[in-house]
Amino acid sequence: MFCIVSFIVLSILGIFSASNRRLAREALDCVFRRLTLRPCNTGFDEKMKAKILGVVITRSERAAAFLNKRFEVLAWIFFVILMASSIMGVRGLYLFYTTGSCEGLNSPNFCVFDPTGANNEVSSSGVCKANQESQAPLSLEGLDLSSFPERNPDSPDQIVMIACYHCEYSRKAYPLVYSLAEHYGANLIFLHYPVKEPTDYFSRLAYCVYQADPVKFWDFNEAMFSGKKEQLDDPAYIQSMLTGLGLDAFGIDNCTSSLQTRQAVDAQLKEIARSGFYGTPTVFIGKEALVGPKPYRVYAIALKGLLYWLK
Amino acid sequence: MDIQKIRQDFPLLQEGGGKKPVLYFDNACQSLRPLAVIEAVERYYREQSACSGRSMHHLGEAVSHAVEEARAGMQKFLGAARKEEIIFTRNTTEGINLVANSLAWQPGDVVVLSDKEHNSNLIPWQMLARRRGVEIRVCPSLPDNTFDLEAFQKLLDGRVRLAAFGHTANLDGVSVPAAEIVKIAHRAGALVLLDAAQSAPHRQINVKTLDVDFLALSGHKMLGPSGTGVLYGKYALLEKMEPFLVGGDTVASSTYTTCEFLPPPEKFEAGLQNYAGIIGLAAAARYLQAVGFNAIQKQEEEINTFLTRELSSIPGLKLIGPADPRLRGGIFTFYIEGVDSHRIALMLDQMANIQTRSGQHCVHSWFNARGLRGSVRASAYFYNTLAEAETLAASLTKIRKVV
Repeated sequence: MFCIVSFIVLSILGIFSASNRRLAREALDCVFRRLTLRPCNTGFDEKMKAKILGVVITRSERAAAFLNKRFEVLAWIFFVILMASSIMGVRGLYLFYTTGSCEGLNSPNFCVFDPTGANNEVSSSGVCKANQESQAPLSLEGLDLSSFPERNPDSPDQIVMIACYHCEYSRKAYPLVYSLAEHYGANLIFLHYPVKEPTDYFSRLAYCVYQADPVKFWDFNEAMFSGKKEQLDDPAYIQSMLTGLGLDAFGIDNCTSSLQTRQAVDAQLKEIARSGFYGTPTVFIGKEALVGPKPYRVYAIALKGLLYWLK
Repeated sequence: MDIQKIRQDFPLLQEGGGKKPVLYFDNACQSLRPLAVIEAVERYYREQSACSGRSMHHLGEAVSHAVEEARAGMQKFLGAARKEEIIFTRNTTEGINLVANSLAWQPGDVVVLSDKEHNSNLIPWQMLARRRGVEIRVCPSLPDNTFDLEAFQKLLDGRVRLAAFGHTANLDGVSVPAAEIVKIAHRAGALVLLDAAQSAPHRQINVKTLDVDFLALSGHKMLGPSGTGVLYGKYALLEKMEPFLVGGDTVASSTYTTCEFLPPPEKFEAGLQNYAGIIGLAAAARYLQAVGFNAIQKQEEEINTFLTRELSSIPGLKLIGPADPRLRGGIFTFYIEGVDSHRIALMLDQMANIQTRSGQHCVHSWFNARGLRGSVRASAYFYNTLAEAETLAASLTKIRKVV
């Protein structure tokens, strides 16, 4: 058992040191002999045990005596810990690759590959927070999404994105999601949910732009997400942007003030709130809800599987 | 003898540079080398680097002269009658093999050995037994591992051709009564070969006084360069012996079918020799003679007495050899029941940079006959100090508490 543990440890250390590589080869020979039910005759285990005891004894005779007595048991324990942590490490790596978090999709727990938790950060409002606290499951089941802007309704693949123009995390995620939908021809359904601002003006604006021109709506969306966030609060900028896109800025402005629009947008916001989402960006792909700005590959894997790049 | 001054001559013993001091207790394997020897070797490579006894140019002459001076130096070191009795070899093993393969043997001839010979003084005779029908008789030691003269005498009869013994055993440091053995053997018509690998570095040997027929030693155990040694043989015997390793430098002349061998020692020194080593060996012999064997033996006895006193009380520690340290020279060999000897040696190395030998010390026959797996051997030399022995004793005591 000690040989197996030593081989693993020395192989890693051997990346940096020639003497450890030599010891790793000795350990491998020992492991091979043990696996083929032959005794280890290189003396490797004795050599390493003596070296370890020789170091420990200079610090503590009691510790050395304990180590000497329980060497095999300690080796087993160490082996089990090593295996368990290796498995967890591999699992964590896999989960990070596929979901953006070491502990699984949307997990806020610490991940060494994403130490700041950037892949799971969301902007949330009072309503959203309530959903998060209740830990209601995220799901689009039973929801009517027909009134939401969508880009490619005939596609069998569907991506639903809830985002906020003012939300930094949404602004990070939107280009990736849009690019993914574009690449695979998926149906992108978008809803602006105002988590960062107390007004639902942008939701009404988005609604009105989509009503005015469903095709140019996506250019509008791109301009809203890619432009400077500070400019969004400048009505003159919005007007200029709409005009630049060839849209009727005046007409859209009137639309945002109408009672009908308000009622329609309220209905939309209430509808999407039923999904249980608690912050933006939240992206639904298939049955999965991806909360926070994930890396592109995570969205792609959710849409097309692990080998997405082959499709 | 000013030990501290002597230790300055040995680079490996110098402290500093952040290195842990080396406590070298493996002198029975090889000794350390003083600067005088290192410089002699280096000088050969730097200033000469030529062949001896072949080329007529001045570099060749210089080397030839140096080699003959070295031969004369070893003659003086061993008290031989003539320098032609000094044959340069690679080590004791080669010297013994030379005797085994060059003497004329008849089937039924007997060789007597002790029961604790180094493999170098056992295996050549086993090969002889296999190839030439020679018989090996083993002379048992007394219970305390000292030589049993009575048992030896009982083994002698008209068939005994040679008695070959380790002058000082590498196993336990016990010396045989060489003078008595030679007298008894000669009376019975047998020749005597002494394996002096462990004795020549530590005590004055006079082969003329001993009247021994052959004596083999290793240079690397007596401060000399690695791969050097000497075989001494009485000239009258060497003259009659056929060389077993032949080639260049062993013949005066040759035709396609015949050759004319040179007289000893050249006929036994085939091919280009280790000139640097030979020159270094002579420097080592001079160094030892300057230190003085009385002082050397005194220092070793002091250290062994200390170790024997301190370590004999360790529970489970079994000393190999007689309890009296004066009978074991500088060698302290022991094992601890139930503890692997290699582990002890490795721990000593790891803990305190103490270098000892572990295992069966090439005397497998002795260990196998007793069912023992091995032992640890601490072998001191004149540059070891009491302080080092104290560290060794303290470390062993600690180890015993743990294992």
